[in-house]
Amino acid sequence: MTSTHDSRALRPQAQRATAVQKLLARAAGLDHVTVGEVVYPEPQLVIIHDGFVEAAYRELSALGFRAIRHPERAMFVTDHEVAYASPQAISRGAAIRDIARRWRVGHRYDVGRGGHGHLFPLENGMVQPGMFLFAYDMHCTTFGAAGALALGVGPEITTVLATGSLWTQVPATIRVELSGGLPPGSHARDVGFVLTHGLASGRWGAEFDSRVIEFGGAGVAALDLAARVALCNSVTELGIGAVLFEVGPPALHSDPAADFAARLSLDLDGIEPQVALPGGPERAVPVGTVAGRAVQHAFIGSCGSGMYEDFVAAAALLRGRQIADGVRMFIVPGSVATAQRLADAGLAQTFMAAGAVMLPAGCGPCAGGLMAPLGAGEVSISTAATNHAGRMGAPEGQPYLGSPQTVAASALRGCITDPRELCADG
Amino acid sequence: MAEPAGGRLIRRGICHLVGDDVSMDDGIIPRRFAAERTTDPQLLLPHLFANIDPALAGRMQHGDIVLAGRNFACGKPRVQGFIAMSALGLAIVCRSMPYRMLRRAVARGMPVIVGGPDPAALAASGDELEIDFSTGAVRNLSRGMHGDVPAMPPILRDIVAAGGMQAQLLDWLARHPEQAVEPQGNLWSATDN
Repeated sequence: MTSTHDSRALRPQAQRATAVQKLLARAAGLDHVTVGEVVYPEPQLVIIHDGFVEAAYRELSALGFRAIRHPERAMFVTDHEVAYASPQAISRGAAIRDIARRWRVGHRYDVGRGGHGHLFPLENGMVQPGMFLFAYDMHCTTFGAAGALALGVGPEITTVLATGSLWTQVPATIRVELSGGLPPGSHARDVGFVLTHGLASGRWGAEFDSRVIEFGGAGVAALDLAARVALCNSVTELGIGAVLFEVGPPALHSDPAADFAARLSLDLDGIEPQVALPGGPERAVPVGTVAGRAVQHAFIGSCGSGMYEDFVAAAALLRGRQIADGVRMFIVPGSVATAQRLADAGLAQTFMAAGAVMLPAGCGPCAGGLMAPLGAGEVSISTAATNHAGRMGAPEGQPYLGSPQTVAASALRGCITDPRELCADG
Repeated sequence: MAEPAGGRLIRRGICHLVGDDVSMDDGIIPRRFAAERTTDPQLLLPHLFANIDPALAGRMQHGDIVLAGRNFACGKPRVQGFIAMSALGLAIVCRSMPYRMLRRAVARGMPVIVGGPDPAALAASGDELEIDFSTGAVRNLSRGMHGDVPAMPPILRDIVAAGGMQAQLLDWLARHPEQAVEPQGNLWSATDN
């Protein structure tokens, strides 16, 4: 057997590279990289949220570091505990500002400034197609919606801060060919649930551990940025390595003869509204399976569904209607800019008139229920990034996931509801 | 990071075969130690692989080699298994393991090869092996046989040779003393929002 890691003779022709091979080769300053090869890619941006800045500083300080390698590339974002809900959060905010000053961090987004660190850099142009980033948080996969490659590396982000890079094994790619367009009442989030459930249940027999999920095909054109973000986000919790949409410069797309680990096809026309049962996005079922289940807590937002278009879709159902008695509903814009647009366009008025509560831009209840938590014994339906026990507060709560339309319809009826029923009502 | 030196990394030791799907949260160390948050290697070592073979830990010596099947160290990412295995200086050759677990093994300075063959094709438990992690050459000294496994990538060999990720960071700092000093003055115009 020969080496699978470093066999220069086995390097594929340039015409057979996947997009992730091209992006990692470029970031590592190499002509080509092979799947399985270990490289040191240099990120253009390194994003850390408020939950980890202090730990990173403590770890590097204990080793003797007083300066980070490329402070101009580092970005601190406060999106997890935005409206400080505890004395600890207030002192954490002060510590983050102090660390940013000591390290000369190039980009700092404090409370009420940027919003969610996985969304506003897409909206303000900081993240561009073809970029390579490292982030602390796994949900940085949203940047794949713009054709940027972002790897969430958890606590190993400290190595990136210290040295400017982190060893990365070039991952294999699962290519997902999208065709058609979504029917009314269905959302990209539902596509993500179908795909996540299918991959987890072995429907396609494809290994997905740390693989890149790449979306291409004619169906991509029918998905706007918010829809692509929702799809990237919905597959993240499976334990995949990254997500990439085939957008941006064609030179950075996968070659037609690229060596994909698996190829799947999904027809968007056939996608129906889904709900993920408590436990994870891969536990998705058609919404009818659990329709009628009473809910007490609902929210729209999070890194997967916090863009302007997500709120437009929800507002179309909520306009002129009242959410059900006994349901508390939270609207969490993904960015300060989106919050401003919601106000300017009158959508914030629509939400408040329906009885929903507007929360500041950021993660909302999805960050462990630091804000607007779910209680023990309660049922929630939301667009959160995931729904394992305790994600939104009490571990004894029952968090379901759905699309913005499904969450809006369920909040209106007070029970899990197929949004197509309300669409049909006019 | 610096260009990898990719030096040689050779290990010689007794090998121990384990099967497929040996999990992090129960197969490598019984899960009660995670529940009890035990992190002292001396308390963990007697229980390594106890659910597979209670006597196995007693036969393991420092520097031995684990030959594993598919999906080694799967399941919930408990820290106790790698604390114990790295304290015993074990090396791993497996058919496959989750990527995040490969990262942990390397971070703890463990020689590890992923993509190996069926362990039984290389050796039987108790055989003495010599593995050159830089070439993938395997010598079964007990049986006079030779085999091949994928080489460990040079970048990962460097981290393991340094003693793991933390040791490599200290090494980096020694080579970049300017990072041991807090920056002074306004070095660039930060975007402060």
